[in-house]
Amino acid sequence: MNFAMALDYQSCINCKACEVACKEENGVQLGADKQRIWVGQTEKSIFGNPFVNYYPSQCNHCIDAPCVDVCPTQASYFNDGGLVMVNKDKCILCKGCMEACPYDARYVDDKYVAVDKCTFCYDTRISEGEFTTACQATCPTKVRLFGDLDDEDGELVQVLKKRKFFVLKESDDTVPKLFYLFPEDQNFAINSIAEDTTIHTWDSFKPLIDKATSKRSKQWKNLI
Amino acid sequence: MEKFNIAGIEINRVSFFELFFNKTMFLAYILLAFGVFGIYEIILERYFLLTANAFDAGLHQGSKDVALAMREAIFGAGGEVKRESPWTLYIVNYMYMIYTGSGIIFLVTLAELVNFEILKKRAAGFLTLGLAMVFAGLFTIIFDLNMLNMQWMLLTPNIGSGMWLMLPLYLIYIPFVMFEIYLLLTDNKKLVKKIALVILVVGIFIDIAEYYIQAKLFDMNTARHLWTTYPNLPLYFILSSFLAAIGVMILYSFIAYKNNSKDDFDLLLRTLRRLALILIFVIAFYEAVSFLFIDKKWASVILFEGFAYQFYLYIVLAIVLPLLTIVFQLIRRNVNNFLMIFMSLSIIIGSYISRYIFVYGGNAYPMSDRFGTGFQKYSEYEIINSFIYNIPPISEICIVIGSFGVAIAVYKIFDTLLSVSKVREH
Repeated sequence: MNFAMALDYQSCINCKACEVACKEENGVQLGADKQRIWVGQTEKSIFGNPFVNYYPSQCNHCIDAPCVDVCPTQASYFNDGGLVMVNKDKCILCKGCMEACPYDARYVDDKYVAVDKCTFCYDTRISEGEFTTACQATCPTKVRLFGDLDDEDGELVQVLKKRKFFVLKESDDTVPKLFYLFPEDQNFAINSIAEDTTIHTWDSFKPLIDKATSKRSKQWKNLI
Repeated sequence: MEKFNIAGIEINRVSFFELFFNKTMFLAYILLAFGVFGIYEIILERYFLLTANAFDAGLHQGSKDVALAMREAIFGAGGEVKRESPWTLYIVNYMYMIYTGSGIIFLVTLAELVNFEILKKRAAGFLTLGLAMVFAGLFTIIFDLNMLNMQWMLLTPNIGSGMWLMLPLYLIYIPFVMFEIYLLLTDNKKLVKKIALVILVVGIFIDIAEYYIQAKLFDMNTARHLWTTYPNLPLYFILSSFLAAIGVMILYSFIAYKNNSKDDFDLLLRTLRRLALILIFVIAFYEAVSFLFIDKKWASVILFEGFAYQFYLYIVLAIVLPLLTIVFQLIRRNVNNFLMIFMSLSIIIGSYISRYIFVYGGNAYPMSDRFGTGFQKYSEYEIINSFIYNIPPISEICIVIGSFGVAIAVYKIFDTLLSVSKVREH
């Protein structure tokens, strides 16, 4: 198992149902800045016409995650399936992981006095045998697709084989596992993707996954 | 003064009142009072803030506490750091105190090793000053952590992490420096002579290891730009802390050694001035050259955009003004006390600003213009056009003020008991 998620971000309507579902499902602390997942927004003007781009995001569960390396107490660790998790009981709140994360995906949970982040609903759903996350289940426009990268016949890999995609901040070499699907509308793609972003196919990205997984999979453990 | 002799070390027999109730300690208490208030605020915020999640809202419907927690969540500004407003002054002060203190210890150990007599005979005082600053740095950072879970540092250590390496580092470093001070103070000359060289060499290695671990800690923050590139980072920390250390040592000399014979005091100041001059040139050279190696766009942000104002203020205060005061004195062929104090304050403030921009630029600056947005369409460097300044919370400011009290109190207690500032020939 190697859990990941594809995001058809062009379909996002910023309803924030995913944010609400995540808080409800996982008991995330209330407050707008206490989020495991969020919908990012950028705005620009093209010849006077406004263009707004939404992209939902969360922890990228990087295969080569720097947040795990910096944690002094192993509170941040790789779970089975390559999920990057936090054991809140061990967190000393040094916040090194928040510094190390290129995606600002971690926040301090004031209720538990520990750092918290997305787990792909591991505690509440995946470990119970379900195979969708709360955010995926609630999304009205089917932006998110959770799946297993090791399952070549699974829906996730099939989508990644069919459509091109990109990942955020690839230059940081963390091999993230949130795959943003290349928009079907060419004009939307031009306006929402930076010029220097590498557009991948499954064949071009698979070797990166394999290389990082072989390096890190020895650290995967199930502590829950 | 009557003395006790314990394990070869002479301890002044002072009363409780003499030890804890004097002018210097009163100043320390005033500063420490700020620190205590800051700690109280932190504890209140960290452990007693009303918080709630969706489960609480469901399980305790109609609860006033949940209602208050929801109100706090929406309108409040309480709680721990956020990505948009991280600790800043904490880290700045921690870096300044620890690095400068270690810099003093490193320089004095080097001076002992090469038999630099003028510093050598004041080594105990300088080392204690350095150690007091290290304690002040640790005091600052310790309240950034949730101490209730610290046992996991020992139970499940991640020994590859820079953050974890700090634990064994200071567990070795502090007793080692104390042992160095002990050797300087003890009258057991034979033992001192036998092991002095070994201790000094080991001391130098520990100092270098400290800067290496600190650099590793920052370098592991993959996401963020560093002020200067790794593996040059330990070198940068060493050189910049040496300069900051010289600034503090000059000021300290005026406080502790002003009453020494004029010739001796002048020689001390001339020596420190010469060291300052060398370090100013080295740092200036480093700053000029290092930007050739770092990310060009990031260098541009430092030199001409977001951090330019603070960067040039650092250059003027830490390098240009001290250089001018030194040149002026060299032309006049004298040691001007006013200019020396001015130079030391300028270096101290300038090097504090250098830590401040290091933390803002390489540590605290948010990676996105909105929490977690990331950069896709817009350039990673584009949004750093203006310097985002977070006003530190009052608790952070108070703890930083308190840390100065810690440094003063630690030094004063050592000095009252052991007369560390006494000039010793050895």
